[in-house]
Amino acid sequence: MNALSGSARLNARLIAMAAWACYVFLLLPSLIVIPISFGNSRQIEFPPREFSIALYRQFFSDQAWWGSMVQSLFVATTTTVLTLVLAVPAAYALVRSHLPANRLLRGLFMTPMLVPVIVLGLGLYLQFSSWSLLDTTSGLIFSHIMLTTPFVMVAVTSGLQHADRSLETVASIMGASRPVIFLRVLLPQLKTSIAVGALFAFLMSLDEVVVAYFVTGTRSMTLPVKMFSSIRWELTPVLAAVSTLLSLLSLLIAVGIITLQRKTEALS
Amino acid sequence: MLAILVYPLILTVWTSVHPGHFTLQAYQELISSTLFLKVLRNTFEISISGTLVSLIVGYPVAMHLAAQPPSRRTAYLIMVMLPFWTSILVKSFALVAVFGNQGLVNQFLGLISGGQINLPMMFNRVGVILGMINFLLPFMILSILGSLLAQDRTLIVAAATMGAKPLRIFWKITLPLSLPGVMAGVLIDFTLSIGMYITPALLGGRQDMMVANLVDFYTRQTLDWPAASATSVVLLAISGMLVAMLGKVRSSGLTGAAA
Repeated sequence: MNALSGSARLNARLIAMAAWACYVFLLLPSLIVIPISFGNSRQIEFPPREFSIALYRQFFSDQAWWGSMVQSLFVATTTTVLTLVLAVPAAYALVRSHLPANRLLRGLFMTPMLVPVIVLGLGLYLQFSSWSLLDTTSGLIFSHIMLTTPFVMVAVTSGLQHADRSLETVASIMGASRPVIFLRVLLPQLKTSIAVGALFAFLMSLDEVVVAYFVTGTRSMTLPVKMFSSIRWELTPVLAAVSTLLSLLSLLIAVGIITLQRKTEALS
Repeated sequence: MLAILVYPLILTVWTSVHPGHFTLQAYQELISSTLFLKVLRNTFEISISGTLVSLIVGYPVAMHLAAQPPSRRTAYLIMVMLPFWTSILVKSFALVAVFGNQGLVNQFLGLISGGQINLPMMFNRVGVILGMINFLLPFMILSILGSLLAQDRTLIVAAATMGAKPLRIFWKITLPLSLPGVMAGVLIDFTLSIGMYITPALLGGRQDMMVANLVDFYTRQTLDWPAASATSVVLLAISGMLVAMLGKVRSSGLTGAAA
């Protein structure tokens, strides 16, 4: 009996060690970027010999860097707004209609999640070159809407399934028109799931690199594309500062999404 | 709405067979191209090793997570989920900073060996696989964790009371019952890795080109759009099959749990 529990404890300890090694491997690289970003500005250095914000200064004084960040924020914001305008009514129609093809449609909306993005990138590249939309911000926004729509639809659809249908019926009995019902009865109930979808769309667009790499050029370059070519060709220490900023932003958005999801779970 | 989603895919297929007139030439050239075959072999080698390593590394992590009390599990899960939310570019850059020639690991190795050892771990096959498992592990862990948590713990208690050793319990109960999760994890990881573009481009060497990089190469370097399209149609077909298999595993796993 004693020997048995002894070997069980040994097993548990081995598993814990393996697991911790893995946690470190998953987390450490992204964390180590933070101290590097406060190091000196000539080479990537860990541990940094002196504390300075030179890399951040370099980032914000270089038009190519902060310009691409402004571009990314603009694209992500526009993409989010347009995706919502498109996906919220679409999700509503999909949930409330009783099309026999409903399940198939829902399945098809999921496909972009598993289609390799490179295939989508190439398709858009071919299309945009004939529409002369290559290296334009509107082309990029169009592509990102394609990528984000399915995710927003999922978020809104799950919100719709919790929405109280009888409220709509009551409103329509009392003479409210369809648009009024949609805007004043339905939307307030969907607030949280729309917010989750919006944050998700924003983050996706902000982080997206493969499609952006295909359809943008020097005029419409986003931050991820700039980072991609910088890691590929020069590997400057400024990347540490950019990475820290970007991770901080992603973390904030992630915390937002998780808090909102918790809230909906508590409600339902 | 749906049309804009599917349209670029159709256009890609169209370009692959119709550079002016209908022809399968692009596919014939692809099959006889040594570059394509080499890249295809690379892709499978890298994806299979990446998936296997994440399975071997991910399984103990899932077991560790499953053994924790719920409140502590959440804390550990955050560590697994955080990389989920970080940009793949940040992760790639960070991996170079840690495993590169002047990286943390090599600095340490140089220090203890007096500058004798410097392991080339980036811009080669090792680099791609490191980057890949860093990206794939969370998917594998969450998938296995799901099926570990769904297991009936009384089975293990019963086996232990009847004198089964821990290792035997693992092989006879834990592992077989977790197979649906393992299968789903393997398929998800394999599907994701086969279409990988960023990781091989940034962490691999010239020899480690994968199918997605070949698509880019044909599109931008040689401007051979039919070849690029044909390559991506092949990629799409492979991932389509994998997704279909995943759907099967998922639905059979569910009915298995219900029965």
